[in-house]
Amino acid sequence: MKERRSRALTAALLAPAAMFFVFLLLVPLVVVLVFSFGVRGPAGGYQAGFTFDNYLNLAARGKAFYNTLTLAPLATLLTALFAFPMAYFLALKANPKYRVALLVLVMAPFWTSQLLRYYAWIMLLGNKGIPSWLAWIGIHDVRIINTPVAVLIGAVYGFLPLMVPPIYVSLEKLDKRLLEASADLGATPVRTFFQVTLPLALPGVAMGSMLVFILLMGDYILPQFLGGGKVFFIGNALVDLFLQSRNWPFGAAVSVALVAIMFVTIYFYMRFVLSKTDTRRAALV
Amino acid sequence: MRIYAILIYIFLYAPIALIVGFSFNAGKYAMDWQGFSVEWYAKAFSNPLIMEALRTSVFIAFSTALLSAIIGTLTALGLERVSGWLRTAFDALIYVAIMVPGIVIGISTLIAFVSFFDLVNPWLTSAWSIKLEMGAWAVIAAHVLFNIAVVALLVRARLQGMDRSLVEASEDLYATPLGTFRQVVLPLLAPAILAGFLLAFTFSFEDFIIAYFVAGPNTTLPIYVFSSIRRGVTPEINAVGTVVLMTSFALLIVAQLILQRGQKTAR
Amino acid sequence: MTKTPGHISPQKFLDELRRFQKGSVTRRHFLGVTGLGLATAVIGGAVPGLRPRKSYAALSGTLNFTTWPNYFSQENLDNFTKQTGVTINVNVFGSNEEMLAKLQAGSTGWDVFVPTNYTISTYKQLDLIEPLDLKLMPNYDEKSQDPRFLGPGTIDGTVYAVPKDWGTTGFIVNTKEVSQNPASWKEFFELAQGPLSGKVMVHDYQLTTIGSAAKALGYSFNTIDPKELAEVEKLLIATKPHLFGINSDYQPSMRNGDATMAMCWTNDAAQLHRDIPDMKYVLGKDGGEIWVDHYAVVKGAPNREAAYAFIDYILTPEINAKEIQAHGTPSTDARCLKLLPKEMLENPILYPAAEQLSALEYGAAETLTSPARAELMARFKSA
Repeated sequence: MKERRSRALTAALLAPAAMFFVFLLLVPLVVVLVFSFGVRGPAGGYQAGFTFDNYLNLAARGKAFYNTLTLAPLATLLTALFAFPMAYFLALKANPKYRVALLVLVMAPFWTSQLLRYYAWIMLLGNKGIPSWLAWIGIHDVRIINTPVAVLIGAVYGFLPLMVPPIYVSLEKLDKRLLEASADLGATPVRTFFQVTLPLALPGVAMGSMLVFILLMGDYILPQFLGGGKVFFIGNALVDLFLQSRNWPFGAAVSVALVAIMFVTIYFYMRFVLSKTDTRRAALV
Repeated sequence: MRIYAILIYIFLYAPIALIVGFSFNAGKYAMDWQGFSVEWYAKAFSNPLIMEALRTSVFIAFSTALLSAIIGTLTALGLERVSGWLRTAFDALIYVAIMVPGIVIGISTLIAFVSFFDLVNPWLTSAWSIKLEMGAWAVIAAHVLFNIAVVALLVRARLQGMDRSLVEASEDLYATPLGTFRQVVLPLLAPAILAGFLLAFTFSFEDFIIAYFVAGPNTTLPIYVFSSIRRGVTPEINAVGTVVLMTSFALLIVAQLILQRGQKTAR
Repeated sequence: MTKTPGHISPQKFLDELRRFQKGSVTRRHFLGVTGLGLATAVIGGAVPGLRPRKSYAALSGTLNFTTWPNYFSQENLDNFTKQTGVTINVNVFGSNEEMLAKLQAGSTGWDVFVPTNYTISTYKQLDLIEPLDLKLMPNYDEKSQDPRFLGPGTIDGTVYAVPKDWGTTGFIVNTKEVSQNPASWKEFFELAQGPLSGKVMVHDYQLTTIGSAAKALGYSFNTIDPKELAEVEKLLIATKPHLFGINSDYQPSMRNGDATMAMCWTNDAAQLHRDIPDMKYVLGKDGGEIWVDHYAVVKGAPNREAAYAFIDYILTPEINAKEIQAHGTPSTDARCLKLLPKEMLENPILYPAAEQLSALEYGAAETLTSPARAELMARFKSA
């Protein structure tokens, strides 16, 4: 009797999420997979069919895959490097009274339109912004806007507010006594950091990086705004395919390829992270 | 360390200062300073398109955050109670939901919904003369999908770090399961749930690409801003951005005050 | 109320009254047909604030109107809502492809939208727009329209869309920064690759970008010939490293000096020139594009009655004139032109000389939907 009730409770807890996953994730992904084998209708859109042409044609977007697969990981790494000290400061050094407020202050820029903030960066990186200040101190003819560098700056700027909270959450759990113990046992601060703090923060870093990496891999706005149409990501290719040339089957094939790449990358990434955290944890105990 | 934090805040807020500054621009174009004026605030508030877009966005973001926080937490709790294939399957689904880029979520949701509507609409129309269409609800559904996974992961991370002896102690003291949950588990999970709620709200409020595909006739604030950026931003948009920022700061201060008061009474 | 019947039989009057009461005709139709409108108009004209032509009965709900940004008068929309009780939900879009893609995907809930000339036959072919019932929009007068602009909206004698306004695609030059005096697309691309490297923008729009490059090479704006397109691709890809950006939002970059020359539409040119007199709008003497935007009703529009009432309302000359003054794009309606201020009509950006226009071409339906051009654009952008 009790077990049945317990099972019913488990089912009730998991049912809502299961519904969402099945009807809004699995079914749509299967539909996309089906579409990817179809053909483009005469005026665009989708026509039923069975062909591998869309996959064979993927090389036509090779440059978009290349750009995304080089710039997205690089931008993620940069974001994590800038976010970590910030999260560390918030979780361990900041006045506990203002901790939450300071954290929300990091997230708050996200509440003004992301599009507008990128728009402001267009001005900052444009002719009358940073390049003109550089010219003033004698460095002339610097072009930032509409280059990969602009996209990287925009990525760090745009995703820092998303990278800091997960790292903060994992650091905040960190028992300060561990740090004290480590110091008492004669470890240098550097060693404490690498042997105690970092491994404990790794789940947060891993989660934040994953989130940012995923958002970057499918990003459209950032390369569109700060790349000025010259830095072409998979996201741009997809928007063009669905909203400009309306080649849905090819767009579906690009989507499937993108998802496949993400699965493989993240699978290996997670395996790497898990192996790291497990061994470190074992070494600690 | 503190200097670094200050630099980061400057980095984060310099563009925002620019947005706020130019919202007081008398000129017609966003980044072309013509003198001080507050007229764009009046214009923004009397622009029904902007107000409607703002309302839609707040509605979508709040619904998304609330639903994701609840369902995500339930999922994390439920997963503690299962093992074996079910657990593996759920874990996989959570990761898939997170891994699939928003643009693909938008595209696949659009394609699937449209195909589904084509199937059921003729029948619905003849039976009750109603018709399913894309709209705010479709945006919420697609946003919740991603955010359930985010909240579930956050809450689970917190659960894993939780001290089980507290729950056991509570049970030893003959607290009801519900009592234990409310008195012990929920307060411990609260930071993670709150973080998840904020993240979900933020993500939803900011999302352009999913809404772009599935919002149907509804216009969210990002969609509005996107289309106006294409043909020249007026300081009106800056004014809205500024108001949104100020509102979130006001809410933040209120939240902080409530938290402080809560701490005092708890003591 | 273009045609007011001189008289009406009592029987017809009663029929019309009954139809009106049942709600099957709008009050405006009723007033128009019965001639009561004329009477009301006379009285109404004498009483400020009581304007007969602004009464629409049997309308309610929301009208979903999809258009381009900065392309309507908010005041007009507000007045429509005041008079009809229909609230208007405006969706703004960036390109024709997007509108087409959204409508093709279905389930948009749109009622009225503003397609450009070359999309209308595609919409008709895909059964996405309905043939217009001109009886429901008496304020539209075909005879007052410039005949040049009537072609694209009429397919096999049936009107699917009515002209809204028209313009051209040329390029804008900041003459303060650019001493050369480019007059053709050929010179546009030569300057882009040479002296103006890093300062030139082209549209993120295959129709105009490929079309203009084709003109520079002496081909048709609408070319889909594989050999010609291959040359266009060579030209574009050779130009790409020199471009400041590929973006249809070029006003900000032109204004702040990041770019000094950009592919440009009439309305943007007028706005740029108005604020910065150094901005010069050039129509390539080797050709280019002329376009007309239209109003059309989406097939299966949820609020069809309001859709017609709205188009009818907006095409009333006085209201249309306000509309035109709000967004600055040239009108196609002679009645409306009479109401516009002189300086607008004499602006050569808005109304170029006839011989300049003769070199221009309409975009063709296949130009927009051609997979070859779409792929070319994708290769250009990702190169």
